[in-house]
Amino acid sequence: MRRALAMLAAVAKKEVRQTVRDRRMMALLIVAPIIQLYVFGHAVDLEVDRVPVVVVDHDGSDASRTHLARLFADGTLVEVGRAPDAGTAERALERGEAAVALVIPPGFGDDVARGRTARVQAVLDGSDPNRASVAAAAIGAYFATEGASLARARLAERAAVAGASARAPDVRVETRVLFNPRLDTAVYMVPGVAAMLLMLITTIVSAMGLAREREVGTLEQILVTPVPAAILILGKVLPFAAVGLFDFGIALAVGAFVFDMPLHGDVGVLVLSTVLYLGVTLGVGLLIATHSGTQQQAFLGGFLFMLPAALLSGIMTPIRSMPEWLQPLTLVNPLRHYAEVLRGSLLRGAGLEALAEPLAILAVMGLVVFGYASLRFRAAMMK
Amino acid sequence: MSALVVEGLRRDHGAHTAVSGLSFAVAPGELYGLVGPDGAGKSTTIGCLAGLMRPSAGSVRVLGEDPMARGSHARERLGLMPQEYSLYGDLTIAENLRFFGQLFGLPRRAFDERRARLLGITRLARFEDRRADALSGGMYKKLALACALLHRPDVLLLDEPTNGVDPVSRRELWALVHELVGEGMAVLLSTPYMDEAARCHRVGLMHEGHLIAEGEPGALTDALEHEVFELEGGEREVLHAVLTADPDVVAASPAGERLRVVVAPGAGARLAASLAAHGTTLRRVPPDFEDLFLARVAA
Repeated sequence: MRRALAMLAAVAKKEVRQTVRDRRMMALLIVAPIIQLYVFGHAVDLEVDRVPVVVVDHDGSDASRTHLARLFADGTLVEVGRAPDAGTAERALERGEAAVALVIPPGFGDDVARGRTARVQAVLDGSDPNRASVAAAAIGAYFATEGASLARARLAERAAVAGASARAPDVRVETRVLFNPRLDTAVYMVPGVAAMLLMLITTIVSAMGLAREREVGTLEQILVTPVPAAILILGKVLPFAAVGLFDFGIALAVGAFVFDMPLHGDVGVLVLSTVLYLGVTLGVGLLIATHSGTQQQAFLGGFLFMLPAALLSGIMTPIRSMPEWLQPLTLVNPLRHYAEVLRGSLLRGAGLEALAEPLAILAVMGLVVFGYASLRFRAAMMK
Repeated sequence: MSALVVEGLRRDHGAHTAVSGLSFAVAPGELYGLVGPDGAGKSTTIGCLAGLMRPSAGSVRVLGEDPMARGSHARERLGLMPQEYSLYGDLTIAENLRFFGQLFGLPRRAFDERRARLLGITRLARFEDRRADALSGGMYKKLALACALLHRPDVLLLDEPTNGVDPVSRRELWALVHELVGEGMAVLLSTPYMDEAARCHRVGLMHEGHLIAEGEPGALTDALEHEVFELEGGEREVLHAVLTADPDVVAASPAGERLRVVVAPGAGARLAASLAAHGTTLRRVPPDFEDLFLARVAA
């Protein structure tokens, strides 16, 4: 037992020495996560605002000008130019200069004033469906509200003439948003991005680390020593688990300071889940290395795992909206479960009980991956 | 009992057979040389003995045990110096030694003692803090040997230890190996240099995965029935034409100013007569190991 621990310490210490001496590696492990989290946190901001609109105002009345000014007031839509006719406006859409063409036909103001149905045409660039639907909703909501208040005013006028009550039926929805009151998408995305970053770093580092020993030839010298495969693997992975935990701390700090992410979660749950998750990602890295002969293959293998893992994690797109046959596949994705725990814990303050299932799944995954990697190790490393 | 036993070993790399039908044994206190050109199967044989490659057929035994078997103690009693770079270039000499010492589970005091001794005899003590990738070829090999000797193995496998090593370091390496063998270690060494065969107790001559000759180096060359001559005089081109046309000429190679020729048994007198016409004289010389190899390969 003491001998095993001494061997473990020797392998871990060697790994730390090599890592510390490798400047690029240190940069990858410590500086890159800060920058990436900062950049990605902003980049994956899904909020849509400042949608560019080109306006065709055939009416040119006071009413059309007032409505346009009020439509653009909240900043969701922004006027980027005027066009003389609908055809010119559509060409602006084709050139990507605007995402919406808003056409106000002649007589719009007159129609409104006389209580006739007034028409406004919105032409949308649907190549970005999210942006198009936000723009359509903003225009629709604006004119619906305006319509309702016009109707109420008209009703009040008639009622005054007839001497009757002018109460129009009305339903109001009171919304109260929990956990993320401002509905910041960054707050929702940061835990997910942090989980992806941890996977990226730890999987690649462990896959490349082992593949390098094999490629350079140092593994031969190790394999003729009595060191058991499990100890060798553990020793190689432990320092990077520590680095992963450190990076996780950085991610939390960047999330809290840069993106105002709330830190509700219990520290114990966060650390436990991160350790379990790192166990899986590091183990997957080793598994990839046992299947690769060179560092290059290990690197490619890492991406072959990480790209689908990121896409099928529910971080970018909700799992519910994936095709049904694809949804069960996300269950074997460690990223999915870890992101679930992080969001639950950090944003909702969910405790151990509420998160027991994803935590248990991560633990089982870690054991399976590590067990398999150690079993495979010797046979795989031999030529 | 033999320290190393190879019996009917065959090893395939895909469709290519690297070693086939190979059998030999090495006794404690014996220095056995696997001699042969690149691609003869030497490294494959050593890889199988070290437990790094699984034999496709046949068996290898290290101190009576299968090095591949679970719970085998062979690895604790075996030292390997691979042909390729096998140490951590970004660690210093001292750190490399410490790391491998710990992997072998050496207690601190025993390690310190052996490190001092090994650094002394390899004359690396002065460079302890130098990174391994900053060492010359000879120093690197000596460090690799020191790492392989830390746990005092009973069996030592050296894969082309003198390849890429300067003459001084080479002589030091050989002296060290002889000392170890003198202490009772079984040493298996591979080399592509025929002239190094004479330094071994016994030699296995390898060619295309087979053993084509085995025995004490002196006895092997003495037993060679082929005749070896050095040729003097005559024009090179003419000689070349005559020699390549003669079916009894096994090999001809330049040796300094002269040509060295290996001739089938009993064909020397006839060749001398036919070459006399071109103004060339033959001088019989004792065969060396290269002649032996060329003669055997031709046969």
